[in-house]
Amino acid sequence: MTLLTVERVSKAFGGVRAVSDVSFTLAAGELVGVMGPNGSGKTTLFNLIAGALVPDAGAIRLRGRDLAGQASHRVCARGVARTFQLVRPFAGLTALDNVLVGRLYGRARERRRAATAEAERLLRLVGLEGRARLRASQLTLMDRKRLELARALATAPELLLLDEFMAGLNPTETESAMALIRRLQGEGVTLLMVEHIVWALMDLAQRIIVLSAGEKIADGAPGAVAADPTVVDVYLGSAGAGRA
Amino acid sequence: MTRPRGLALGVVVVAALAAVPRVARTDAELNFLFLVLLSTTLAQSWNIVAGYAGQVNLGHAAFFGLGALTTRTLWIGGTPVLLAMGAGALVATAFALLIGVVAFRLRGAYFAIGTLALGEILRITVGNVLAEISTLPAATIASYRLADRYYLALALAVATLAVVGALGRSRAGLGMQAIREDEEAAEASGVNALGLKLLALALSTALAGLAGGLFAYYHISYYPSHPFGPHWTFDALLITYVGGVGTLHGPVLGAIFYVLLKEYLAVRWVDFHLLIFGALFIGIVLLLPGGLVEAAARLRALAGRRAP
Repeated sequence: MTLLTVERVSKAFGGVRAVSDVSFTLAAGELVGVMGPNGSGKTTLFNLIAGALVPDAGAIRLRGRDLAGQASHRVCARGVARTFQLVRPFAGLTALDNVLVGRLYGRARERRRAATAEAERLLRLVGLEGRARLRASQLTLMDRKRLELARALATAPELLLLDEFMAGLNPTETESAMALIRRLQGEGVTLLMVEHIVWALMDLAQRIIVLSAGEKIADGAPGAVAADPTVVDVYLGSAGAGRA
Repeated sequence: MTRPRGLALGVVVVAALAAVPRVARTDAELNFLFLVLLSTTLAQSWNIVAGYAGQVNLGHAAFFGLGALTTRTLWIGGTPVLLAMGAGALVATAFALLIGVVAFRLRGAYFAIGTLALGEILRITVGNVLAEISTLPAATIASYRLADRYYLALALAVATLAVVGALGRSRAGLGMQAIREDEEAAEASGVNALGLKLLALALSTALAGLAGGLFAYYHISYYPSHPFGPHWTFDALLITYVGGVGTLHGPVLGAIFYVLLKEYLAVRWVDFHLLIFGALFIGIVLLLPGGLVEAAARLRALAGRRAP
């Protein structure tokens, strides 16, 4: 069943067409990767879905209801959560309070007692047990990423957008981040993730969408996308395509 | 401090303060405590918007002034003082919400400058329209009792602390703190930032309006533009930062410290306290962002480490 429909969405900044006529759908429970060179419009696409930006044209629907142009807190309440490319936890608040914000607002909007219990469970899920009382500013980069993930999950999303979750991590941390992302599917969340670490994305995603200069140039199974001559051309240039 | 212990301490302090008018030998002592209580209320009200929701409002005097102007006018006209103060709070809040919808489109320094301009516009307007000094009628002066003002100040300060204390632990308070830390991330977590910022402003300005009303009830004669003066805003800001911004007891400590210093220094050097507080403010922002509250916590930690 279709969870998210992105239909002919465009967004321009001045003369630059950041996202141009992009369409795709996500089925519930899917884990889909988005890749593309720098400046190809991945983060803009995320900002459009999350309500941080308003599209110039096109429709974005969650379970058939239009999301485009809604304020980001409303989009979150409808069941779309996100993490940021550069982590943005609430630095001065404790880890527990960070996650509580997501639980008390967002889609769940639980009472304090139930919200606290769920926030503690999510902190354990992402591997932050024992750090609930620490301020977010006292955590390492990897732990801040875990925290942001817990905060996003706390909003009870149907769709979770991960923007370069694995950027800046060392190989060991990348492995544990991948394990964590696999565990998320057990939470019943549909995932759309932008990632530059191609091997990780190939390994995790069931499907990959490739953007180049704001346009979608490929959409399919990881193996098929990797073999697609247009994709190879975008990443390696035509000389690389010739050698391959 | 744990919550039950803090609450118990609070009850003892309030009981002691309530007994002061019976034992005070001179009005000077009562007057000093009145100023501490008024400053606590004003600073704490400013702390809601700045310390909790993270929006530095430099036009706070406008709401203090509106509360004072409304209360004074109604009260001298014959309205019971509590009713007049309630009206003052309402006028201040209504004006704040009207302004807030526009001002909250501005972020950071722009919001601060916008609100500063607003406060000054109001002060100059009131100064021009109501240029004559406002003095209480002779009959009111004859029956003036400082203790009445003192009890009202005590009640208002306690109510303000109760409001902020409850806010700090509430869902709305947590949402405001999330906005303070990162507005965009808060929005992405489902927090309606504009709605909560307006709520913070409404609470803050209602309390500032009540504080202004108290001032109008207390002060015998002043120019109507006086309560609109920017020093009310900056007093609140300095007290809050020196005491500990975004905390419940910071503005209380700050107010005691500020009024002590001010009263002591004013005897000899008039406005010298501003120089000291200005320097202190810079020092605290640079070296000790948590203010006196953080200093106390650090000292306790240090003492704990030294103890066997």
